[in-house]
Amino acid sequence: MSSSPISSSIETGLHAAQPMDVIKVLVQRSMMRVRRMPSAFIPSLIMPVFQLIAFSGAFGFAVTSLGIKNALDWYVPLNAIQGASFGAVGVSFGLINDMQTGFFDRILLAPTRRWVMVAAPLAAAIVRCIVPVAFVIIVGFLGGMNTPGGLLTLVCLAISAIGIGLVSCAFALGLTFRLQNLGAATLTQFGIFFTIFLSTSQVPISAMTGWLRSVARINPMTNVLRLARQGFLGDVTWEGSWGGLLAIAVLVLLSCWYAMTGIKKFDQ
Amino acid sequence: MNIAFTDPHLMKSPRSLRSLFQHSFVLTKRSVLGRLRQPAIIAPSFIFPLFFAALGSASFHKLAEDPYFTKNIAASFLNYAIAGAVLQGVLFASTSAAADLAIDIEQGFFERLLASPISRTSIVLGRLAGSMVVAMFQVTIFLMIFIAAGARIKSGPFGFLGLVIGGALLSLAMSAIMAGLAIKSGSSEVVQSTFPLLFVLMFLSSAFFPRHYMSGWYRTVADWNPISHIVEGFQGFINQELDFSQFAKAWLLPLAVAIVSIFFALRSLSKRLAAS
Repeated sequence: MSSSPISSSIETGLHAAQPMDVIKVLVQRSMMRVRRMPSAFIPSLIMPVFQLIAFSGAFGFAVTSLGIKNALDWYVPLNAIQGASFGAVGVSFGLINDMQTGFFDRILLAPTRRWVMVAAPLAAAIVRCIVPVAFVIIVGFLGGMNTPGGLLTLVCLAISAIGIGLVSCAFALGLTFRLQNLGAATLTQFGIFFTIFLSTSQVPISAMTGWLRSVARINPMTNVLRLARQGFLGDVTWEGSWGGLLAIAVLVLLSCWYAMTGIKKFDQ
Repeated sequence: MNIAFTDPHLMKSPRSLRSLFQHSFVLTKRSVLGRLRQPAIIAPSFIFPLFFAALGSASFHKLAEDPYFTKNIAASFLNYAIAGAVLQGVLFASTSAAADLAIDIEQGFFERLLASPISRTSIVLGRLAGSMVVAMFQVTIFLMIFIAAGARIKSGPFGFLGLVIGGALLSLAMSAIMAGLAIKSGSSEVVQSTFPLLFVLMFLSSAFFPRHYMSGWYRTVADWNPISHIVEGFQGFINQELDFSQFAKAWLLPLAVAIVSIFFALRSLSKRLAAS
């Protein structure tokens, strides 16, 4: 790694580099990893699309019988958010690799602020999660999904997907700094999986019963999914948006705090 | 673990049928103990199927308000979800059992078995039998959990037994396919990478939702998917009175696949032996 142009640019140029320059270089490095190891990224691209097809094909009747025109209108936002979160968690796999090869220690020795070490993977996560979201939206359009909310539909979906991508990545970073092994990314994936499915992932709250109804009511993901879905099911309104926006803001703050305290523990 | 040398009795006549059974029994025991000693590997095959069943029954319970569903399919969605959970658990477990065989090859234990005076066939049969034992144990636990949660088996203890045996036969079929792949490739990564394919087959079937409510190309794929018929055989044991069609779907279909796939696994073994 010592001969890598990126690592040498970091080592030699950091004393003069601004945080934004460092973030830019580290994002480019993360993208280079995607290009060089597509096998690590492709599953996060294919799985949401497969799940979109599988859910809308298998459970389509369950949502259309509740008055939803097209099952894709219900499942596109779910799978876009899922794709974004799994794509974003991929960044932590790269971080673990950097820890194992010693590259991360060298970055820490460089004269750069600690928050940059969290902000750079988060920026990379945003770039990485855009691709699966776009892929799911394209498949949704090809399948005939409706967007009565117009352009705001896609804006709400993008905010939800990128927001949850950021939360997933920050949480994965916090856990990776603490555990320093691959188990951190796996645990994060389990966490996302259960959080998403214990919300209104399959059907609206009104169609649920028992324990799931109670869990989904207090799960912040329910609000995020409402924000993401509203433009697919009707008009975009402030009433349907604020809960999701608040949930994303709180989750982003908490997960970034978790990542920052994680890197401090790693330093110690 | 040196099976052949620790038990001199096994070394008497390695080619006899008796020694085949003895060797297979010892390797079955090793396989089962190996699985039970790795709870982190066996846990997902319990957690995910039960989670999806619980999720499905809480999400799709309104389907039970449809008279067609209650009359022809199941009394409740929880009853319907049992078969899907059994299928999912068995497929998860079979894949990880075959991955264990591939790990034996990667770590050299397989070569040590070949160097010992042990029946070659028992290396495969022991692993497959181990997988069947784990599947029977798994299906029994699943059914006990579902019954405790309120599910009812319409055909009674015979339906219970029918499902346990069906699960074991499906496990035999899937483990044999995966064992063949493991022996052929010698790589646990290759075996694990086939799981998404099983996942796709499972979703494109009636494992999670009845075929009756599907439409278009998805319905056509589900109609042709053998997994749909196996899982509907399982559902028959739980939700209907016993009849021949359930046995044909839940027992004979996996058995037919098992015969072909055991042949494939043994052929892969003989090719590997010839190559070494």
